[in-house]
Amino acid sequence: MSLFSSDHKAVARGYLWGGLGFLLLGGLLALIIRWQWAWPGQPVPGLAWALPESRGALTPPAYTAVFTMHGLIMIFFAVTPLLFGALGHFVLPLAIGARGLAFPRLSVLGFGLYALGGALVLASFVVRLGPASAGWTAYPPLSTPAFTPGLGQTLVTVAVLCAAASAFLYGLNFVVTVVRCRAPGMTWGRLPLTVWGLFFASVLNVLFVPVLAAATSLLLMDRLLGTQFFIAGAAAVGGGGDPVVYQHLFWLFGHPEVYILILPAWGMVGDFVAFFSRKPAHGYRLTAGAMGTVTALSGLVYAHHLFTSGMSPLLGRTFMVLTLLISLPAEVMYLNWLMTLWRGSVRLTAPMLAALGSMGVFGLGGITGLSLGAVATDVPLHGTLWVVGHFHLTMGAASFLAVFAGLYFWFPKMFGRAMHEGLAKAHVVSSAVLFVGVFGGQLAAGYAGQLRRLYDPYQYTYLKHLLPLNQWTSACAFLLGAAQVLFVVNLVWTLRRGRVAGPNPWKVGTLEWTCAPSPPPAGNYDPVPVVLRGPHALSQPEVLEVLGKDWIGQAETLPDAAVDAPALDDTGDGRSLGVGGVATSGGVA
Amino acid sequence: MSEATGSAPPTGAAASPVTSGREADSALLPVDVERPSAATPDTSRGAWTLSLPEDASAHGHRIDTLLAWSHRFELMLVVVALGWMVLAAWRFHQAKRAAPDGGTRRSRAWVLGLALGAFAVVDGTLLLGSEGYLRDVLWNFHVPAADARTVRIEVNAHQWSWEARYAGEDGRFGTPDDVVTWNDLRVPVGAPVWVQLVSTDVVHGFSLPHFRVKLDAIPGRVNQTWFQAAREGTWEVACYQHCGTSHYRMRGVLQAMSPESYASWLREAGRQAEQSFDADDSAAQWGWEWKAP
Repeated sequence: MSLFSSDHKAVARGYLWGGLGFLLLGGLLALIIRWQWAWPGQPVPGLAWALPESRGALTPPAYTAVFTMHGLIMIFFAVTPLLFGALGHFVLPLAIGARGLAFPRLSVLGFGLYALGGALVLASFVVRLGPASAGWTAYPPLSTPAFTPGLGQTLVTVAVLCAAASAFLYGLNFVVTVVRCRAPGMTWGRLPLTVWGLFFASVLNVLFVPVLAAATSLLLMDRLLGTQFFIAGAAAVGGGGDPVVYQHLFWLFGHPEVYILILPAWGMVGDFVAFFSRKPAHGYRLTAGAMGTVTALSGLVYAHHLFTSGMSPLLGRTFMVLTLLISLPAEVMYLNWLMTLWRGSVRLTAPMLAALGSMGVFGLGGITGLSLGAVATDVPLHGTLWVVGHFHLTMGAASFLAVFAGLYFWFPKMFGRAMHEGLAKAHVVSSAVLFVGVFGGQLAAGYAGQLRRLYDPYQYTYLKHLLPLNQWTSACAFLLGAAQVLFVVNLVWTLRRGRVAGPNPWKVGTLEWTCAPSPPPAGNYDPVPVVLRGPHALSQPEVLEVLGKDWIGQAETLPDAAVDAPALDDTGDGRSLGVGGVATSGGVA
Repeated sequence: MSEATGSAPPTGAAASPVTSGREADSALLPVDVERPSAATPDTSRGAWTLSLPEDASAHGHRIDTLLAWSHRFELMLVVVALGWMVLAAWRFHQAKRAAPDGGTRRSRAWVLGLALGAFAVVDGTLLLGSEGYLRDVLWNFHVPAADARTVRIEVNAHQWSWEARYAGEDGRFGTPDDVVTWNDLRVPVGAPVWVQLVSTDVVHGFSLPHFRVKLDAIPGRVNQTWFQAAREGTWEVACYQHCGTSHYRMRGVLQAMSPESYASWLREAGRQAEQSFDADDSAAQWGWEWKAP
């Protein structure tokens, strides 16, 4: 791999290793938090070298740094880069039949910024006064030098700015690539759902990441230049800035970020459920439309994060309605996945199991968010582990499993070698089950009132009885961490001596599997394929009859004999392959 | 951190004396020897009982009922969604034939209809129930404003303690008989308690889990909320916004007292406050105009 190659596949590999590395780091930090909640103040095994004064036990300052860095690393340096940087960069141009991204050098620049940001994050661990500790949201005034003077907080703020710039660049690159660089015949109605997910999420990146950049830049000026954008005077006395403005800016990015992390996952789930049920995605247009609706609404719901900030009742009511509204398209999409499974021929491959696991944890996570969307029910749950369990299920577990679904699916295309199916299955199934254990335990603790971010929750009498529950949850978390060894072993083994994958091991028809060798050469396609149908042309009777297989490539022509066969005209129930591999029955076409 | 306890709440519950004895075997282990203990431990709840903290407020049951309904719906949706998924994967595992189409007009209409139906019922219940509570309680400041018994409290959040100010017997803030307490809230049972909330340093989250009250304390802003205790007892005040290193120790105790003992406590505390009043100590004089609804 060359860091300086502008080939989208090389850039993708850079993000893959970077993202996996940060995933490991963020995961270890999470385990440290879980240790603290199960055995508060007890030395963490193996941490004595980092915290010699306390013989490895977490101190309150160390704890605040750990949960701050866990959140930041996971969101900005692990999951987003894995979804967009690794999978997005790799798949998007291939899946639309492009020779590469619209701006290849821009994607190298974006990776450079990501790497710089990552280096700053790592550096922040070793600077004077320690790493950032104001929470991943970095609410001022806590995040200003008056309360968090350490250089680490500044370094991390710059790192987030770098990650934001990188995200903006690949967002822009992806949007332009999808709009301008699709192969002939690759109409909007023939895009794989993965591409729809990446496209919508990239639109969100372009729209809302600059808001994060604005908030972060202003905060940085408050930290370094003595401005007071977010610093109010002593309560109700001084003039100057306003900390709530930061909260609005932050969540105007922060809530769409949830969809930035989940839309590509939704797209992959939609595709994989169709591929491995061997039938076209049910209601392809409804699903794509639902994803578009979520995208359109995503910026309009952000202020439910501020329900308890004392906001105007008028705003509170408006944001309650909008927040609840966003569950409607999500339900449409989910039902479509279920309908796709129904009457399919379900193959429980590793990517499919991961996609189903992602579906499962996302279902749980989405549903537990309902009570956070209405103001009255949000009040008792706000700021508790219920919220933590909810968003970890949706953007943590669901995105994580989707990343691994994608990785197991496209690994043969990326590296020419197939990963071990058994190990992969064991990895994703155990991960999915343990995710439910960990975050389900958090939901239970949060419902009982346990607040987030408490170094020692048992300071509060009313939380003392939750210790056994937290210990059980932590045990699940340690097992979850251990289960990741399955992936590492599989990865190392496959890269060294994995079996060479066939050109199309999953027997699906999308362009990357049917028109390019594994791994694809620089430039991807020569010549560029001409696309004839949608991504899910599976189990079509005429294809079975003519080709003897249950799939046909998006750019593959059926022999004329079959096309002209009179039998085809009789299938008036919409089995025509003409539009997107999707049934064209009724008045929908 | 100095835990300035104005007057240790003399409650009978689990009385471990609040001492300054912080002789942990290792000063580096942040063990809190003097865990404030005033609140009644909730022994009725085992670790595995999925239940909210007990409700001690006059209006909290409305939220609790709504929340219970929302959890019923959530359970129902989970069973349908995940049950359907597992059933489909099991029933159609390696099935010989797969439907060759992306659904019929009818099946797509079913999807839209089901989604709309579930949305109308589940989200509709939450919306209407929530709206009723907001109108009647959370955002209805006419109640405390109109009630003659209403007790007003000014809460000033600090890193890391709750400073509370009572108007004293004259009913006016900013006079020598203002009572100031630290991490020690006292309210009478059966009267609305109107809270004005500010912060001196960073954003804090004022919460009374047993009263279903949660509100940010933000520098530069005066936020208001109100609640009413349903019975006597001792509960905890918690901070739910990350406010720095000792955030986890920003714990206060709230006592709901009979109106008589509340009045006598306030009288006595006000008398003491007047005695020790120092007109030159401008830092101790604070209070904000009360905005009526």
